[in-house]
Amino acid sequence: MDIEAFASSSAGNCYHITDGKTRLLLDAGISYKEIQRRLNFKVSAMAGVLVTHEHMDHAKAVKDLMKNGIDCYMSAGTADVLGITGHRLKVVRAKRQFQLGTWTILPFDVQHDTLEPLGFLLASGSEKLLYATDTYYLKYQFSGLTHLLIECNHSYEIIRAKADSGTLPLEQKNRLMRSHFSLENLKKFLLSNDLSRVQEIWLIHLSDRNSDAAQFKREIQELTGKLVIIAG
Amino acid sequence: MSEQKNLSVIKEETINAVTAKIQSYQKSNAMRLPGNYSPENALKSAWLMLQNIQDRNNHPVLQSCTKESIINALLDMVVQGLNPSKKQGYFIAYSNQLAFQRSYFGTQAVAKMVDDTIQEILAEVVYESDDFKYRINRGKKEITQHEQSLENINGKKIKAAYCMIIDNDGQVKTTEIMTFEEIKQAWAQSKMNPIDDKGNVKSGNTHDKFTAEMCKKTVINRACKSIINSSSDSHLFLQSVNRSSEIKVEEDVRDEIAINANGESLDIESEVINETDPAPETTPTQKPQQATLINEEGPGF
Repeated sequence: MDIEAFASSSAGNCYHITDGKTRLLLDAGISYKEIQRRLNFKVSAMAGVLVTHEHMDHAKAVKDLMKNGIDCYMSAGTADVLGITGHRLKVVRAKRQFQLGTWTILPFDVQHDTLEPLGFLLASGSEKLLYATDTYYLKYQFSGLTHLLIECNHSYEIIRAKADSGTLPLEQKNRLMRSHFSLENLKKFLLSNDLSRVQEIWLIHLSDRNSDAAQFKREIQELTGKLVIIAG
Repeated sequence: MSEQKNLSVIKEETINAVTAKIQSYQKSNAMRLPGNYSPENALKSAWLMLQNIQDRNNHPVLQSCTKESIINALLDMVVQGLNPSKKQGYFIAYSNQLAFQRSYFGTQAVAKMVDDTIQEILAEVVYESDDFKYRINRGKKEITQHEQSLENINGKKIKAAYCMIIDNDGQVKTTEIMTFEEIKQAWAQSKMNPIDDKGNVKSGNTHDKFTAEMCKKTVINRACKSIINSSSDSHLFLQSVNRSSEIKVEEDVRDEIAINANGESLDIESEVINETDPAPETTPTQKPQQATLINEEGPGF
């Protein structure tokens, strides 16, 4: 499996994955032009795009991608808020798995302040990828994961200290706690999963102001003993 | 016997700490209390109440909560000039943290305290078929007409609620209008969430039985909060106002995660399933699209 992060922050999120046969984009939160550029203008080589939710840092290019003949997979709620229809829209449901080329994909519900956000579990051959972003926790445990693309947005310690010193408004702190994965909660998630087959953990969607990439990488590495990559 | 003694020691230490803090605030003019407010009386009533409050494990909060949090909760009460015996607030334990939670009576009292020109706080409900008109004048809402007939009054036909805050000269200071949808959204944020998945009030609970009264409470809270938050009062005061709600938010999130996270096992079914149509229900007129097989590879990138 090959993973590449085209963008990973609250300014935009877009990841390219391939199992060597079927190429997919995970989220499309950058401009269509940028996606074209990153794909060497071979956008049609994409078998589809999986969209987690409607926020623009994940869905910016969805309409252009559909116009250009790329199937976009998302929940009914996400499609509804984006106001899109058409035969390139593929509505998927949590816990209803489907096949996309050589990938078997299982969407699942995540916890974010949007209408119907999803995460995705993707399997191909002996490899299994978890893609979960913009969720303050995960309800589920997964087994046999080989790759994780998972949000590590902020650390509670950092936002706590910033709220105390008045540099982060309380409303923002409270929203972060209820919408994005913290380092602390991610650790709890990792500890409750069987990571024995994991090859790579990609930490994604780090906040510009409320994260510390070096610290996050070190702590997750120490906790899991796995290869940890900071996306973006 | 030893428990009794223990309690009186706790009481003395806690009340002394709170009183010392209050005195230092008053000396530095960081706090001003309404003339008719007696911190001593409020503390006495609070202590009586605290002796009978238990946390969710049925332990007395005076034993299960940290001393610091008890002191902070009492300070939060005094700094806001509130008294629990007037139902202006109550104490809640979030694991080992005691918090003072302002009630809606308390919110009105605080609004009056930060703005002493407030004479009255009124709220009304607008029903379907009411003749209700308002206009927006320089960004401020003004209700120009509200006529109601008795036949219109029906808890199931509420359209909106509004609150008017009247000043000493009888003039309207602030008007807050909330549609029923907005009110339900506010309710859905609360811990007891009386709203079901379809956005309706769950039948049988307080919000269903006394819908109009609960609407008034909500809109009064909103109107008072805008006064409180825009008050020029000291940082200290606002800190107290915010602290109790903050402890609660954090605790709620922590609880929610502890209960719901990382539990259910989820995995891909191994048998090969139908490749054709991931979403028949939304594209009924379309032929199922085959979502498969665009074999790559293009040149590397």
